[in-house]
Amino acid sequence: MKKKFFRGRIILITIFLFFCSALMGEAQAQKEKIGWVGPIYKELSDSLMKGFKDYYKKTYGKDIEITFIRPGGWPVCVDKVRAWKGKPDADIFLGAGAPAHEILKKEGLIVPYKLKEWEVIPDKWQGMKVKDEGYYWACFAPWIVTNLYNEKVLKVLKLPPPKTWKELLNPIYRELIVQTLPYASGTQHEAVEIHLQTFGVKEGWAYNRLLAAQLARFSTGSVDTTHIVSRGEVPIGLAQPQMNAMVARKDGYPVRDLLPDKTILVPEAVAMLKNAPNEANAKIFLDWLFSMAGQKYVLEGGYFTARKDIKFTAWEKEGVAMAKHAREALGVDSFWDLKVGFVNYDLDLAAKRWDEVNRYYEYEIYRKWRELKSSLFLIEEVEGEIAAAKKKGVDVQKAEAKIKEARNLFEFEGQYAQARLTASEARSLLVGGSR
Amino acid sequence: MSRGNTFLSLILWFILALLVIYPLSFLIIESFKIAGTNQFGIKNYLDFFKDPYYLKTFTNTLFLGVLVLLATTLLGLPLAYILARYRLKGKTILTALILLPIVLPAYAGAFALIVFFGKQGTVNLLLLEWGLISKPINFIYGLHGLVFIQTLHLLPFIVLSLSAGFTNIDPSLEEAAEVEGARGFKRFLTITLPLCTPNYLAGAVIVFLWPFTDWLTPLIFGLIDFLPSIAYINISYHFTDMYRKYIGIVSVVVSSVICVAIFLISKRWVEKKKYTSLSKGTTLEGRIIEPGIFITILSYAYMVFIALLVLLIPTVLGLSAFSRRWVLQPFPTYWTLDNFRLIFLESPLLLKNSFVFSGVALIFGIIFGLPAAYLITRTKVRGKEALDFVITLMLAFPGIAVGVSYLLAFWEGIPLATHWIIMPLSLFVRRLPYFLRMAHASYLQLDISLEEAAEVSGANKLRTFFNISLPLLLKGVFVGVVMFFIMAFQEISTAIFLYRGGWETLPIGIYLNWHRGMEFGIAGAMAFLMIVIIFILLIIISRIGGGILGAAWGSSGGRY
Repeated sequence: MKKKFFRGRIILITIFLFFCSALMGEAQAQKEKIGWVGPIYKELSDSLMKGFKDYYKKTYGKDIEITFIRPGGWPVCVDKVRAWKGKPDADIFLGAGAPAHEILKKEGLIVPYKLKEWEVIPDKWQGMKVKDEGYYWACFAPWIVTNLYNEKVLKVLKLPPPKTWKELLNPIYRELIVQTLPYASGTQHEAVEIHLQTFGVKEGWAYNRLLAAQLARFSTGSVDTTHIVSRGEVPIGLAQPQMNAMVARKDGYPVRDLLPDKTILVPEAVAMLKNAPNEANAKIFLDWLFSMAGQKYVLEGGYFTARKDIKFTAWEKEGVAMAKHAREALGVDSFWDLKVGFVNYDLDLAAKRWDEVNRYYEYEIYRKWRELKSSLFLIEEVEGEIAAAKKKGVDVQKAEAKIKEARNLFEFEGQYAQARLTASEARSLLVGGSR
Repeated sequence: MSRGNTFLSLILWFILALLVIYPLSFLIIESFKIAGTNQFGIKNYLDFFKDPYYLKTFTNTLFLGVLVLLATTLLGLPLAYILARYRLKGKTILTALILLPIVLPAYAGAFALIVFFGKQGTVNLLLLEWGLISKPINFIYGLHGLVFIQTLHLLPFIVLSLSAGFTNIDPSLEEAAEVEGARGFKRFLTITLPLCTPNYLAGAVIVFLWPFTDWLTPLIFGLIDFLPSIAYINISYHFTDMYRKYIGIVSVVVSSVICVAIFLISKRWVEKKKYTSLSKGTTLEGRIIEPGIFITILSYAYMVFIALLVLLIPTVLGLSAFSRRWVLQPFPTYWTLDNFRLIFLESPLLLKNSFVFSGVALIFGIIFGLPAAYLITRTKVRGKEALDFVITLMLAFPGIAVGVSYLLAFWEGIPLATHWIIMPLSLFVRRLPYFLRMAHASYLQLDISLEEAAEVSGANKLRTFFNISLPLLLKGVFVGVVMFFIMAFQEISTAIFLYRGGWETLPIGIYLNWHRGMEFGIAGAMAFLMIVIIFILLIIISRIGGGILGAAWGSSGGRY
């Protein structure tokens, strides 16, 4: 009897709990919501979530539930939005540079919204677009495709930081450089594209072959590159999202940004999705993101700020912890104070040949990396021998022509074995010439 | 055959179909898709086998497997012999020590090695400081470093399997050989070693197949050209290049097929070769020898050498756990407890996730494993061999195969991957054999007449199970439970594919903090915490299971 009584109670309690949880679910359904989709780092999404939740609670007296979907790099994020077929599961496309937002605009997946403080963001900067004139998207966290070096290790090695792309080819930096594969990182891909667009396709690939011979190793991603340089395992890292140096400095690593002579701006931007289910909240978020308060959370999330009226020194005084690291990593007081040489970057071309460039790099440079190095090193050896012979007054004309041919085969044709053979021929000509 | 058993078997098969066969079929289907079209075909496979690069990654992986197996065997053989045969003081502590590498994910060891042996690591910095070298020496980057770290990680598998082999040999066989004149080394080579081969093979297969599943450790050393590593890069970073993704999936399928094939061949071989003897003079300990003074000194020297090697990793992790900003300095200079404060106060989520996911996986494991073991050992239900086979096969499946197939299968249709339950589910599937083997072994040891007596006395099957079988099984089951928990706790290669923000576990936290957060101190503290937690668990099972060796080995894949 007693047992039955207990069983009855347990059933009642279970039913009660079930109803309670159902009611709670109901209450949750009425909660304010907003959804983001995009490729930003977790540190930034965490920081923005915290900041926006606090702001929303303070301003509207209500909690807001934020969902953030990061399915992968920006092309995957764009694919995700496409897959929603006009009924998006999010309101905001958060992050990614101009190419992503231009595609979204062209395909009618985002809608214009004029921010309350539209003017605080520059229209253009040194020829690069920072926001869309039709109010479709605006950059909230600009950064530059840059390189990075470990101050302490280069100092010990008594080497100056290389200032230009070409300087990286100096033999003093051999085996002191690390980069990732262009198909493992969007930023690395963009760096290769910068070379192709700065030097021309043929010369760009020649440059990448020579650069590959300088590398100590390949890393597995741009953040891995940052880490390897931070620890000093390899002192120079290529193709970095610029803010990585700032974040590494915050963690106490002696690294600095190394702006190359030619690069591009990545205007990490934000836009409102068409048919956003929580449009009102999306607008509130956009205005907050570009407010002084919102921008502080951007910086605390490890990204640079986009407003023209921000000075890091002023924020340092206000106690924004990251401002000091930003100033030290960049060496200037506002992001827009940087002096940068931009390449006239053709976005459409870059987007069109994205996979093709990756594959060429994989098949012609990465997979033949060993062969490439041994070929170039032999050419360099023979070149040295020719120079030495020339000094001694030996007739080196034929050998010189041959080694030039070898270099051509190496740099422009990518025929590493053939180049080796030709270099050997040049060497034998040299020996023959001296007789 | 009772109807109940058939029904039970059907339920278990349904679970296996849903969680193993269904997702793996997605993996296979995906590997036949042709990029840029809606068609299917064998083009990806043809491309894969025609491409000399993939052949190279395959031979590299094979070569790594051989090297690691050789190195672990050379290092492990003397140690296993010492542990199994000589009466020496302090053996228990050493046995516990050599288990340390198992409890840590291999990549955590790789991080520690970079801190200690890297170009700006402790050793190089000290040598530079003392003026012994002018440029850092490359100690670890390259194949040698990879072989070193994997050897360290996998050494326990060889030592445990070999020492189990040495212990199990009937002393009378060796004594007979000695009487016949085969003494010392000759006896060891002609009698002892051959008798150990089945046990050795059990461990050797795990070691040899490891490079086919571990994609992360090579990447940390900057080595990409291994089958699982290139598969990971191709799948994870394909962006919009579908061909890259499909080729990556083909690599996963190929490595899975290789793993399963090697596993099955060795399993058959072991079964054929199993030396069973009607024991006359054996004891639980096997043959124990009182070593002479020379052998004693040599044994201690060797044990200390191995202990130093093994202790290196936890020591470096421990130092970084209690310090901050240990970079470009031979030793930490700034000591703090801040790393632990961060873990406990600011992100206790990781700890909670680790316990919840492994715990839930364990509950699944018990709910599934006990009836499965019962069916396999106690009934004649049809298809029980197949059930055993499919479950055991999970031992051979690379984590990346489970991770990728779960992502493919459980996104749309059955959208499990959008809920955190996917984490414990995948852990459950991946670690299931560990629990099952233990429950299985316990069932075999349980005398069936006890159950029969209960049934004759009028108890039904369920009641017999709860009142008779379960209490008697508890010890073995409990060891299986803890071992399962440990293996689930340190899993990463599947989890890293499936986790989303908020579902991070301790192993994922270590990886992210090394890779993303830069701060090694927190990663070190997490790894240190893992060592402590798992070590406590190991001690618990050693108390219950009678000796760490037996307890751990009994369920960690040593027996088929």
